[in-house]
Amino acid sequence: MERRKFLGLGVMALVALPATISAISSIDFRATKPDAWTAHKVDEAIKALFGDITPVEQGIELGLPSVASSGAAVPLTIKSEIDAKTVAIFQDMNPESATAVFNVPENGIVDYFMKIKLKATDENGGKGVVTAVIEGRDGKFYIGKKTLDVAKGGCEG
Amino acid sequence: MAKNMKIKAKLKGDIINAKVVAKHDMLTYDQAKAKGKEANFITHITAKVGDAVVYDVSTSQFWSKNPQFKFKFKGAAKGDELAITWTDLLGNTTTESKKIK
Repeated sequence: MERRKFLGLGVMALVALPATISAISSIDFRATKPDAWTAHKVDEAIKALFGDITPVEQGIELGLPSVASSGAAVPLTIKSEIDAKTVAIFQDMNPESATAVFNVPENGIVDYFMKIKLKATDENGGKGVVTAVIEGRDGKFYIGKKTLDVAKGGCEG
Repeated sequence: MAKNMKIKAKLKGDIINAKVVAKHDMLTYDQAKAKGKEANFITHITAKVGDAVVYDVSTSQFWSKNPQFKFKFKGAAKGDELAITWTDLLGNTTTESKKIK
């Protein structure tokens, strides 16, 4: 209830922004695409965020360790030369899939680093997959994937 | 001013390299349940130079505790202020800024 109220306020604040700065304004994807954040599968989260898309697997460089000893802070880098509008990062190890959704400013550089928490992968047959989807300013969608092992989970403790 | 962030912004050629550490527990729903606390994590981060948004991300509970992030952008000069704002699930918001070196 509290959260709903808060998100509602966020939407109102967005609407209240003057149209003149819309090109450089912020987008709160948690408010505009709430279902993307509660989806438990990567496919469902992608669909909730972007709709029915058929992305091409090219142009995205995901930097992740192939084996992460601890899932508490796994370094993740995403780089791309694609003229991107939106960059989304998902994974199949945690209870929900959506991890980050970037609204890329015009002429922005897609070279982002962040540290994320991942659950241990041994329960899932030893491998986890991080998936990135880019929505280009050309209207096309691109996808990139990277497989990794997480020895010790980072979400429990 | 409370130090809730560590910000570094350095101009290299025509690109600004920004490096940030935000102070936040980033308590996931599972962690919160185990600890008997309320889940709370940063849900949005925006960086601006003047009125221009240079970094804008909707985040999840899966960013690490005291999340660390880096990004690059163009179009600012040495001495410009890079202002970073985060908002969390409970509606707390913090803005801190640093001059680009």
